[in-house]
Amino acid sequence: MTDMTADAKRGPAAADHSEGMSYLETLPRRLVTLYLPLSIILIVLLFPFYWMALTAIKPDEQLLDLERFNPFWTWTPTWKHVSKLLFETHYPLWLWNTMFVAITSTILSIIASVLAAYAIVRLRYRGAQWVGGAIFLAYLVPPSILFIPLSTVVFQYGLFDTPFALILTYPTILIPFSTWLLMGYFKTIPFELEECALIDGASRWQILTKIVMPLAVPGLISAFIFCFTLCWNEFIYALTFISSTQHKTVPVAIVNEFVDGDIYRWGSLMAGALVGSLPLVVLYAFFVEHYVSAMTGAVKE
Amino acid sequence: MPMLTRRALMQGSTALAATGALAGSGLHEWASAWAQSAPWKPEAGAQLSLLRWKFFVQSEDDSFVSLVDAFSKATGVKVNIIRESFEDIPPKASVAANTGSGPDLFWGLYSLPFLFPQKCVDVSDVADYLGKKYGGWVPTAVTYGKSGDKWIDIPVCFGGNMLNYRISALKKAGMSKFPATTDEFLEFAKATKRNGTPGGMALGHATGDGNTWVHWCLWAFGGNLVDANDKVIINSAETEKALNYAKQLYENFIPGTASWNDAFNNKAFLAGEISWTNNGISIYAAAKRDPTKKDIAEDMDHALWPVGPVGKPTEFHVCFPMLAMTHTKYPQACKALMAYLLEADQYNKWLEASVGYLTHPLNAYDANPIWRADPKNTIFGEAAKRTLTAGGLGSVGEKAAAALADFIVLDMFANVCTGREDAKGAIKIAERQAQRLYR
Amino acid sequence: MADIALNPRPARKRIGDVTAWQRLKANRNWLGIWFMLPTAAFLLLFLAYPLGLGIWLSFTDARIGRGGNFIGLENYEWLWGDSVFWLSVFNTLLYTGVASVIKFAIGLYLALLLNQHMPFKAIIRALVLIPFIVPTVLSAIAFWWIYDSQFSILSWSLKKLGLISQNIDFLGDFWNARWSVIAANIWRGVPFIAITLLAGLQTVSPALYEAATIDGASRWQMFRHITYPLLTPIIAVVMTFSVLFTFTDFQLIWVMTRGGPVNATHLMATLGYQRAIGGGYLGEGSAIATAMIPFLLAAILISWFGLQRRKWQQGEAND
Repeated sequence: MTDMTADAKRGPAAADHSEGMSYLETLPRRLVTLYLPLSIILIVLLFPFYWMALTAIKPDEQLLDLERFNPFWTWTPTWKHVSKLLFETHYPLWLWNTMFVAITSTILSIIASVLAAYAIVRLRYRGAQWVGGAIFLAYLVPPSILFIPLSTVVFQYGLFDTPFALILTYPTILIPFSTWLLMGYFKTIPFELEECALIDGASRWQILTKIVMPLAVPGLISAFIFCFTLCWNEFIYALTFISSTQHKTVPVAIVNEFVDGDIYRWGSLMAGALVGSLPLVVLYAFFVEHYVSAMTGAVKE
Repeated sequence: MPMLTRRALMQGSTALAATGALAGSGLHEWASAWAQSAPWKPEAGAQLSLLRWKFFVQSEDDSFVSLVDAFSKATGVKVNIIRESFEDIPPKASVAANTGSGPDLFWGLYSLPFLFPQKCVDVSDVADYLGKKYGGWVPTAVTYGKSGDKWIDIPVCFGGNMLNYRISALKKAGMSKFPATTDEFLEFAKATKRNGTPGGMALGHATGDGNTWVHWCLWAFGGNLVDANDKVIINSAETEKALNYAKQLYENFIPGTASWNDAFNNKAFLAGEISWTNNGISIYAAAKRDPTKKDIAEDMDHALWPVGPVGKPTEFHVCFPMLAMTHTKYPQACKALMAYLLEADQYNKWLEASVGYLTHPLNAYDANPIWRADPKNTIFGEAAKRTLTAGGLGSVGEKAAAALADFIVLDMFANVCTGREDAKGAIKIAERQAQRLYR
Repeated sequence: MADIALNPRPARKRIGDVTAWQRLKANRNWLGIWFMLPTAAFLLLFLAYPLGLGIWLSFTDARIGRGGNFIGLENYEWLWGDSVFWLSVFNTLLYTGVASVIKFAIGLYLALLLNQHMPFKAIIRALVLIPFIVPTVLSAIAFWWIYDSQFSILSWSLKKLGLISQNIDFLGDFWNARWSVIAANIWRGVPFIAITLLAGLQTVSPALYEAATIDGASRWQMFRHITYPLLTPIIAVVMTFSVLFTFTDFQLIWVMTRGGPVNATHLMATLGYQRAIGGGYLGEGSAIATAMIPFLLAAILISWFGLQRRKWQQGEAND
């Protein structure tokens, strides 16, 4: 993670320092000031996932009977809910929809952001600073203000209930932040490199693709993860603009489809929530360092 | 009865098995014969998409799917069925009506077609055909079906919403039969609370269960949202009485009903947490289907709504009208499907598969054995005849539909029951909202 | 656009050959416009236009799918006298205020804890992030189940411990429901704040602490005079985001309560949805959404000017 790279850069002095401070503290003291509060917070943060996972594999009769079965554990796990989810519902289709929408709009947004960020930082056209500020402000316009007029816009453009309703609207959430993020990365790339290339006769496009982009790969990855997560998470647009079952995304579909009239299928609901979270968890398992550094804007690699 | 249960079980297992079972029963042959002689010939290459409410009784949906399947086989019309929860249907239907795109057929609740009467295909011929053939429509079905002198939808069925109670809890409360008046009912509620077997009725935004019970209560005391001319008259002493009565009832409910939606009472009843509630037959159906809930199925029964000071029943059951949008490319196919569904050979099967959840709007179906197969089903057979219509004294129309969608009456009751507002304050709020809708 | 730029034509031309087209291509301002085009198209078509349209809609009686007529301020007048609307404003402010403060406090505390030396640091930090990664709706469903009025695990545990005798009515009682959704929001928001502040903490030079230790500063003094001032800029950014997104939250409420019981947890966003999409009154829904804008602007301005200036002052003082 960031701390490792940071430590590595700061060299032995930094490492010494953290050891140096902690020798002042005895173990019991650290137990009370560090480990105890930390474990309480961790338990609270992780309990809902444990509960989700447990509910997903509990047989139905144990779910609603807290007296005869210890609710915190089950000795008879069942794959019924998960297999019902995967084989008897449209769940795989919803996963595919979500994936498709998320990837397409992420790619669109990143292309747009790279161009915009580069133009703002390096072309420095007239008014670039103001445009940069405006784009950042755009990030602060929340979807819950926009969804009502956007729904009429989506009707007007004839996009209602198609994946394009989402693919084209998600970039409005994604572009501002990723542009902002990439601007930070591009700024760190030395000007001299570009100047040399310009003198050698490279076009701006060549500079962008051959020099700047390769150097900004970590930033691109962060932006990609960020965009992808936001898409996967998005709810209100998907709820409003999509109406038929076969076009829904996972978050909306789960809420709507696992409540059969007046019966809640808690097992399947939880299984659906768990499986729906997995792609992101996997993504983060591989790229967590990038993500952390991206969020902080501490991008001075 | 045993046969019925077995079928319900079979259909409950998988849709595939159900289709197989029905295919053997001659459904397809009949469907083909019907298609030959029916007055509506689907357009060549017709394809329909139908948006229906999300089922409450699995076997009902399975039966519906297989009926539609047989229709497709016989006529060559492919039908795509989409399901949405109650409260999501009106917005989706409005969108489709106004953008002129979306499903061809909508099967929703209460006065849905009246949100956009001019966008509904005129189905008077279908209604007349069915009415003549099956002993006439019940009056409420006519109210829900006709706009002016045209039928704009076919009220396919009603959903009875009755009181569900545990027989043991009734006995424990010292009563031999379920209370028939509002006063006795309150006594019953108090007794069950005392005995530790409280009941509860939904006060959250429950389109079905919530609306039915608060309207019953309002009307039982002579309160009304609007009069026959659609003038708002909610601000009345009668409304206040109804609210105060409801508050007393609420005090004897199990805690938490203010957040209940349509699902919560089913869950709580089946888990033995509550001993009475208002619901369709879906609790009983679920209890019968589940071997571990056998004791609940045996110990429960249904009762008609108690009568209030107005001295006559004031029940409010759910109506499920089906409409075809004018933007459909295949109006004949839509009509054929609607007529087909209500023909005896399909409709009887469907009623049986719904184990009493659906009630017929056509008099001839009183004879369906489901209403006598189990005495606990019987009262549900009268739902269509007993119900009042959305809007109460006023018209069934866009405004009544909007008032239901906005939960004006339900929120008024919830405000008082939970102590957020006193009766007068709650009435004021409801009056203001209603006046805006009914202007 | 892409093919124009792709055309790999080096600018190694004699001055005399330069055509208008070439100049256009090389001109910084023109090139800037080309590069900005995709972003501008998205943001104008799907952000600026709807934003303006929303404000316009709020002055009309538009219903779903059918255009409305201009009715002036009537929607606002109606909302002004609508107790449910004011309740939603109150709920939104309460929700945002309480959740943001607690999120910040716990987030900062957690960041300070995580900044200490301990085994398995990397794994613990990754675990902390999980609530942030998992889609909000999906974790809201988990909370919904945890808060169930009959089968809540919390009620069950407290009952077994003998602390309560009856199930807690988490989502059915006004105040319980409010605290429950706030708790869920805090749970969801803490990791983001903690991890961001943690990264901020790591940019603080250890030399400062060493110097302070030599000067005999207490832990609190060190936090107050070294950590906190240096963290201020990142706190400003994080809290602006946090306040904004809490204020406009929709998903958690929609999944857990849909605004109930009796509108006790309706936020402005959820009420807007219910009126606009559920009830079909686009005009009124837009008016509710538009009414959020002044609050958001105020939040942005406060954080922008308040915290930015302090950062600047701090910087001056430190230099």
